[in-house]
Amino acid sequence: MRETETGQRVLIIEDEAQIRKFLRISLEAHGYTVAEARTGDQGIELAGREPPDLVVLDLGLPDMEGVKVIRRLREWSAVPIIVLSVRAEEREKVQCLDAGADDYMTKPFGIAELMARLRALLRNRRREAGSGTAVIRSGGLVVDLNRRLVTLAGETVQLSRKEYDLLRLLATHAGQVLTHQQILQEIWGESHTEDTHYLRVLVGNLRQKLRDEPTRPRHILTEQGVGYRFVDDRGL
Amino acid sequence: METGGNPAAGPASVRPPRRGGLVYLWTTLSVALATVAASLGAWLLPHANLSLLYLTAVLVVAARWGLWPSLYAALLGFLAFNFFNTPPYYTWTVHDEADVATLVFFLLMAAIAGSLAARMHRAMAESRAALHRLSNLREFSGRMAAALGREDIVRAVVDSLERMLDVSAVVLVPEEQDGLAPAAYSPAAAERVPVEQARRAWAYAGRECREGGWYFIPLTTGQGTVGLVGVHNTDASREQMELARGLCGQAAVALERAVLAAELEQERLKAETEQLRSALLSSVSHDLRTPLASIIGAATSLIEYGGSFSAENRRALMETVLQESQRLDRYVQNLLDMTRLDQGRMPLQRDWVDLNDLVSAAQGRLHSELEGLRVEVAIADDLPLLYVHGALIEQVLVNVLDNAVRFSPPDGVIRIEAVAENGDVVVDISDQGPGIPEEARGKVFDMFFSARQGDRQSQGTGLGLAICKGLVAAHGGNIEALGNAGGNGTRIRVRLPALSREQVG
Repeated sequence: MRETETGQRVLIIEDEAQIRKFLRISLEAHGYTVAEARTGDQGIELAGREPPDLVVLDLGLPDMEGVKVIRRLREWSAVPIIVLSVRAEEREKVQCLDAGADDYMTKPFGIAELMARLRALLRNRRREAGSGTAVIRSGGLVVDLNRRLVTLAGETVQLSRKEYDLLRLLATHAGQVLTHQQILQEIWGESHTEDTHYLRVLVGNLRQKLRDEPTRPRHILTEQGVGYRFVDDRGL
Repeated sequence: METGGNPAAGPASVRPPRRGGLVYLWTTLSVALATVAASLGAWLLPHANLSLLYLTAVLVVAARWGLWPSLYAALLGFLAFNFFNTPPYYTWTVHDEADVATLVFFLLMAAIAGSLAARMHRAMAESRAALHRLSNLREFSGRMAAALGREDIVRAVVDSLERMLDVSAVVLVPEEQDGLAPAAYSPAAAERVPVEQARRAWAYAGRECREGGWYFIPLTTGQGTVGLVGVHNTDASREQMELARGLCGQAAVALERAVLAAELEQERLKAETEQLRSALLSSVSHDLRTPLASIIGAATSLIEYGGSFSAENRRALMETVLQESQRLDRYVQNLLDMTRLDQGRMPLQRDWVDLNDLVSAAQGRLHSELEGLRVEVAIADDLPLLYVHGALIEQVLVNVLDNAVRFSPPDGVIRIEAVAENGDVVVDISDQGPGIPEEARGKVFDMFFSARQGDRQSQGTGLGLAICKGLVAAHGGNIEALGNAGGNGTRIRVRLPALSREQVG
């Protein structure tokens, strides 16, 4: 067991009893405390009553659209949300992520990957809360946020300001998918959220400097049609 | 005789006018009447003025029957006036020279007045005929516009030709293998539809022609000749043929429109089928993936972390794998049933079955789904045995129950009731879910209805209830969605005929 997050509260909003069951058993075995809700309404109410550290949300709920649940939660909470969906459609995923979800898993999925995503989200949240690491490592790549220094196998990599901003943004959300929209908005601002070609060019340049092969990237993974995900040494 | 016949005959220009004797008899009588009047008037009027009475008769005849009767009346009047009213009376001789002049003027005036009246009469008859033709054409246009398909159009052509031209008519359309088949014909032509003649006429490729007593007019559209109209009337006037051509032109346009409409409909159907296909695919993949997600999730949990689970939890996850595999199997069974129902290959293996057994078997199969819900069963004690294919009716109950489970609130109650009613066995399964809006109740049994509703009802198979409908129908029963008597929720009613042992034999 790599990392045990004892006592963290996970809220599962899912109408399939069998999925709730294996999630509960696996999460509890890792020391998480689990709360379950069958409908969106129940989930929102439960989250309000006992704020969770993380929400696992199924998109196909009987009473309301998953996107609506995300929006309702985001009205008052920054809790990390990971979305479960049988729908493989990219549009759907992007919609959820843009609405404020932090990551998604397409059903069916293996439990190990979900656990890794969960850990990554909880970690990022701690970092944002101030106790975060100043140094992020991925393979031979070291990003020192404090000194704004990037090294690859011990050698300093010269990055333009935009390239560094992009790397910092992805690295501080290691293990987590960021949508094109989110990245564009963060780096170029509100008025450029449609200019995905800027982003593709910038990612291309960054990968080249980090010697990341576009066909088999190690640091910056492409989530086709959705966005990008940075992988650090703790993996997914 | 001119076309201007009896105005009472209606479409004067197209009907043969009333001929011969009768008109001249009436004319003769009119003159005779004038003669009688003149004999009586001789005491009051100077005899030269008596010619005015004859002139009146001539004008009446001219107005009613036209030129020739009026000339006849003038001549007759002239002779009668001469014979009865000019001295010496009752002879053909005329003494007074003034009387001769009167007679000549009388004849002249009668001819002029007669021809004027006749012309007026003809013009009136013509305008009346034109009006009639126009209203006929308008009615024909209306039928063309309202025609839904080729059948309507060709029927209207035949009817209109028959009525307007007083002819037998037939419409022939090309068939496969270069043949021509009558699409519509006048009853009078039923015995002798001129298929052979039409085949020869067809060879003229879009030109009108006369073949064996029939006149053929092609129906030509942008796509070429789409049919032939045959008119059986060898002595049709030019005007009549013009009218027939006009009808055929309109009919051709209408036919073309019908063809285009049919093509459009075909396209729409294709698009709808395509939509259904993609709804099916997304529904099926959704249905298959949902249990798979549980199976893969439970299995990977066991493999990855099984060592740290309690024995109880390990067993619970293995049960998940089993139950979800069974659910998957149900879906696959449903898909197979649907295909077989669709293709009409669902042989019923009927036998005597107790509904109680079917209900408990269905509950058993949904054991894990029903957890956390209460099921109340109320089956009447006197319920007859059912003569059905047990496995299929069990599937119906499973699908309806599965649906009820899906929409039940936590701790909800599902009620299964069965009674005998008017020779049927009526099974009601009601839940406490949100219910189905009245307007959607008929549609929930359509294939992929829930799939079309988007993914809201995430486990909506979209197939389950459609299969129920098919299976129940195969047993001669029916299924419907109702509201619950006590407010919200859905009540699905399955009605199966209760056969007696004698009926089964």
